[in-house]
Amino acid sequence: MTRYAFILRTAARQQWVYRAELAMRAVQMVLFMGVFMALWSTAFGVSGQAELAGYSLAEMVWYLAMTETITLSSSRVFVEISEAVKKGDIAYTLARPLSYPFYQVANSLGNSAPRFVLNLLTAAAVVVVGTGCAPVLRGAEGAGSMPGLLAFLGMAALALLLDALVAVLIGLLAFWIEEVTPAFWIYQKLLFTVGGLFLPLEMFPDWLRQAVRWLPFQFIAYAPARAFVAFEPGFVLRAAAGQAGYVVALVALVGLVWRRARRRLVVHGG
Amino acid sequence: MDELTNEWMDEVMKTARLVWGYLRHNLMSAMAYRGAFFLQAFGMLLNDAMLLFFWWVLFDRLPTLRGWDLAGVMTLYGIVAFGFGAATVVCGNGFLVARVIASGDMDYYLALPADPLVHLLVSRMSLPGWGDLVFGLAVFLVAAPGRWASLPLFLLLGLIAGLVLVAFSVLVGSLAFWVGNADNLATQAINAIITFGLYPVEIFPGVVRVLLYTLIPAAFVGSVPAALLSDFHWGRMATLVGFTAGITLAARCVFQRGLRRYESGNLVTVRG
Repeated sequence: MTRYAFILRTAARQQWVYRAELAMRAVQMVLFMGVFMALWSTAFGVSGQAELAGYSLAEMVWYLAMTETITLSSSRVFVEISEAVKKGDIAYTLARPLSYPFYQVANSLGNSAPRFVLNLLTAAAVVVVGTGCAPVLRGAEGAGSMPGLLAFLGMAALALLLDALVAVLIGLLAFWIEEVTPAFWIYQKLLFTVGGLFLPLEMFPDWLRQAVRWLPFQFIAYAPARAFVAFEPGFVLRAAAGQAGYVVALVALVGLVWRRARRRLVVHGG
Repeated sequence: MDELTNEWMDEVMKTARLVWGYLRHNLMSAMAYRGAFFLQAFGMLLNDAMLLFFWWVLFDRLPTLRGWDLAGVMTLYGIVAFGFGAATVVCGNGFLVARVIASGDMDYYLALPADPLVHLLVSRMSLPGWGDLVFGLAVFLVAAPGRWASLPLFLLLGLIAGLVLVAFSVLVGSLAFWVGNADNLATQAINAIITFGLYPVEIFPGVVRVLLYTLIPAAFVGSVPAALLSDFHWGRMATLVGFTAGITLAARCVFQRGLRRYESGNLVTVRG
């Protein structure tokens, strides 16, 4: 475990070296938040309602800030894995005293950590400037309260772990298919849609909400953001248990896939 | 005068042959890995389709948004996707101009008799771009069933949108001639025009709207062509064509000017 923690720390420090790159990612966050703040302001204005599906304009924008913070922090570790598989470099990793897929999970989390901090600060700054609403600073209870923020931070960590495990699984697909990027696009769009990245699940038609309730995608985007904007201890416990359950299931799946993948590996010489 | 016209026609034909030759060659090499090609194109098609989910849910709660309904937004997506697809299929290097300049890869294009800008743009084909192209066309036909008569106009407007995208990318990519590594900057500017292009310009406040007609001309990629499809107006069409011609000319002039400052990377590469 110490080894993986060391890899995580090293990857995070490495990311921090490329601060200009991180700043560019922050620009992306400003862009997305700007577009969606304008869109939701217009939508609320047109509807003439103070709330849509139980969310006020400020809550909707904060919700989006939190989902974007998580998804824009995820690392594209599947690219590194699939390249290693295609070039054969993966053979060198077999001699190392750690499991390659879990090394990549730690690497992914290390890459995500500095991005997460920067994205959170950027998104919060954009929303505070755009809406003039800073719930935590205001000491509000319920929406955006301090317990909500703490719950969000804990659940976001689990969400990034889930995301890293999925990214590793996508990368390992390179053992079976030539190009894994389309699999990533599909995963990313599932997060956008049934994961609740752009829209909270409460906005969905009933039948769809019921259908996506137990899928892993909503535990990555919707659940942490919802915990922030509408903190309820019961919901947080249920969602965190769901996240933990999926972490266990995905760890087992990654182990299984890696065992099968290794059987397909043919090393020719050194 | 006749001689001048003939010379110009010769140039146009030469360029057309170059574009067609690369298109054919790139498609043939993509077909060598058929599975990967279809997987990428189909993946992108699915990816684009899922982006419409947001609007489907939103319009389930709101009938219209400043004059835009689901069919209107789908048409807008259709034009942007078709334009983007056409741009990346024909001019696969269009969004990589800054990277090519900064890495010294222009040497290859400068050593050959073809027009360096056109040659650089068309020498690569994006395979997922085919998925965008097909998605754009399909979503237009689904959004407005029975609008087969407008198909030629849709195709024309989609190609215009693609040309605006490529011209804008060349403009921002050419910054690399002056500032060196402009790859990140160019990527952000290109992301901005595509992101804003996918939303009706009417949803943005006044100042942002002005920016979307000028500095980041996303309105000419999405909203303006989409509005022309639902309500054609010669004056607006002339504005769109005029803007497209202007930005294309500007991109070419800036690239040519920048090229004078280009210093070889003395890069030794092998090209297949």
